[in-house]
Amino acid sequence: MNREATWNDGLRSPELAPRFSDAKLPRENVSTQMSTGIHTPNVKLPFNKTTEPSDPIFRQIRDLIYKVSGIFQLEEKLYLLTDGCARRMKQLGVRSPREYRDLLTTHSGREAELRQLLNEITIGETCLFRSQSQLDAMRKVILPELAAEKSNQLVKRLRVWSAGCSTGEESYTLAMNILEETDSQLKDWTIEILATDLNDRSLETAKTGIYGDYALRNTNDYYKQKYLLPLDEKKFQVRPEVKKLVTFSRLNLQDDANMRFMKGMDLIFCCNVLIYFDGRSKSKVIEHFFSDLNFGGYFFLGSSESLLRLNDKFHLVHFPGTIAYWKPSLKSGRL
Amino acid sequence: MNTSVTSKIRERVAGIEAMPCIPAVFLPLLELLNAPPERVKLEEVVRLVSYDNTIAAQCLRMASSPLFGLAKTPESITGAVISLGLRRVQTILLTCCLGQAFPVKKSVLDPTMFWRHSLGCAMVCRKFSDKLATADGDKSYMAGLLHDLGLMVNCVAFSAEFGLASRRAHQEQIPLDQAERATMGFTHCDTGRALAEKWRLADDIIEVIAHHHDVEHAQKAQSLVALVHLGDLLCRMRGLGYGYYERNKVDLVHDPAWAILMKEHRDLESIDLARFTFELDEAVGEVCELVSMVFGAVPGHN
Repeated sequence: MNREATWNDGLRSPELAPRFSDAKLPRENVSTQMSTGIHTPNVKLPFNKTTEPSDPIFRQIRDLIYKVSGIFQLEEKLYLLTDGCARRMKQLGVRSPREYRDLLTTHSGREAELRQLLNEITIGETCLFRSQSQLDAMRKVILPELAAEKSNQLVKRLRVWSAGCSTGEESYTLAMNILEETDSQLKDWTIEILATDLNDRSLETAKTGIYGDYALRNTNDYYKQKYLLPLDEKKFQVRPEVKKLVTFSRLNLQDDANMRFMKGMDLIFCCNVLIYFDGRSKSKVIEHFFSDLNFGGYFFLGSSESLLRLNDKFHLVHFPGTIAYWKPSLKSGRL
Repeated sequence: MNTSVTSKIRERVAGIEAMPCIPAVFLPLLELLNAPPERVKLEEVVRLVSYDNTIAAQCLRMASSPLFGLAKTPESITGAVISLGLRRVQTILLTCCLGQAFPVKKSVLDPTMFWRHSLGCAMVCRKFSDKLATADGDKSYMAGLLHDLGLMVNCVAFSAEFGLASRRAHQEQIPLDQAERATMGFTHCDTGRALAEKWRLADDIIEVIAHHHDVEHAQKAQSLVALVHLGDLLCRMRGLGYGYYERNKVDLVHDPAWAILMKEHRDLESIDLARFTFELDEAVGEVCELVSMVFGAVPGHN
């Protein structure tokens, strides 16, 4: 316990803290990782004696990754981390996990190495309907709550922001799920889904709305038939009525001036994007999200991501199978 | 709750005596758990357990689960005690005993779900306690394990009414206690308390059973009641509830129970709740496995 505290504590001092500045990351890397899930890399190395997950060093590295990125590697997925470390160790010619741990904590190149390791363990990969529990929370709990809160407003509007939307999978998934509610709880509402990313190429792909089997592996037939058009045997395109709801635009989350324009949001989804930001940039982005949200609005991160207590104004709330951050409504009196 | 409902519950619970239920060693074991540790003798526990081979065997298998931290199955209860400590083994034994307690009718409540929730809550409460310097992990485990005792009573003594309440909860996706109150006029907290009093369980456990859904009304052991309340909510939000989607938003830190727990445990403030939630997810699979291992083969449970 003490040993762990010592080497982790070192990271908190400014000169030792690794800096994951988004600006330093190669853009290509960021784009593929934005709005994506954490996915098992295809390359699987056999474990050997030195890289078994049971080695406590890997738990220390897991804790380190959590402290700098907010990503928590579950015990059952610790092999992702172990594999990633093994690949880096091989590339660097490092022999023992302990030696590699030292590279990540005390060596002068630790920031760069941590970034390399993060890239190893988080292969950009995404699909439609990636997080069913978030969608359930939105439709079954949040929308009824918002509908009640806005019940006396003349013009009812729902504004959703998919921040770091990459190639649009999440944005269209949100659109389809919201469309499902427009005959009932969102009848006569104005719906706006704003999808932003830094990478122009990703945005171009997103705008076409064309997806292959792999991106659609979680999409059931009901949604396929209702909201997608088959282009050929392997490709589908999102129907115009879904596209119509989503506006794609380029935005750098670190651009303070533009971030201030993103007002009046009810929901913000920013999944697996902030893990690449250092603590300061991250808390700045989160601060923007907080002020961009309406009172009573919600902010979702990736399924194994957390805010690392970077912001105490948000309330961490649980829904079945997922957590979210809530900007308390004025009515709740808990702001 | 009015007196006529209370007496109706007591009357029905009194009838439970006739049921083939709790293994004889359960209550003496529970009593031992409540005794000061220095007065509990290892031989006494081993003697109690030796009356029931099934329980002893289950206990040994359970002790080897990653949730209890032994790398391999201990060969004897004494061996388990040496590795895990007497109190920890007692909690395992009590879990096994309880598994044999009631043959819960599947039509009303799926026993697998019930045990997953109870054992899950026990586990969460223990892990929660482990984060708090002055909390008693084993006590919290027992409180979590027994908190929904009333659901077993409902299945046996009020099966028709409870069946309706349970269906309503599933259909409307509302918390079970809310459906019970709306349908029957009382909840598993009331029936659980009646049985717990009849069994003469310790006062703090009775308080947990009676008030885990209204912590503010607990007279004694408020922080234990609060801890179980929070553990129960966490279980229901992380896949160890009653097998249906509960349309619920849970703000643990702003729940009154959080403030109550904080009064006694200042270090609650330093818990990283998101991380704690992720850590619990790791235990969910283990809990399910343990339930099929310990309770899967109990007669009347399939």
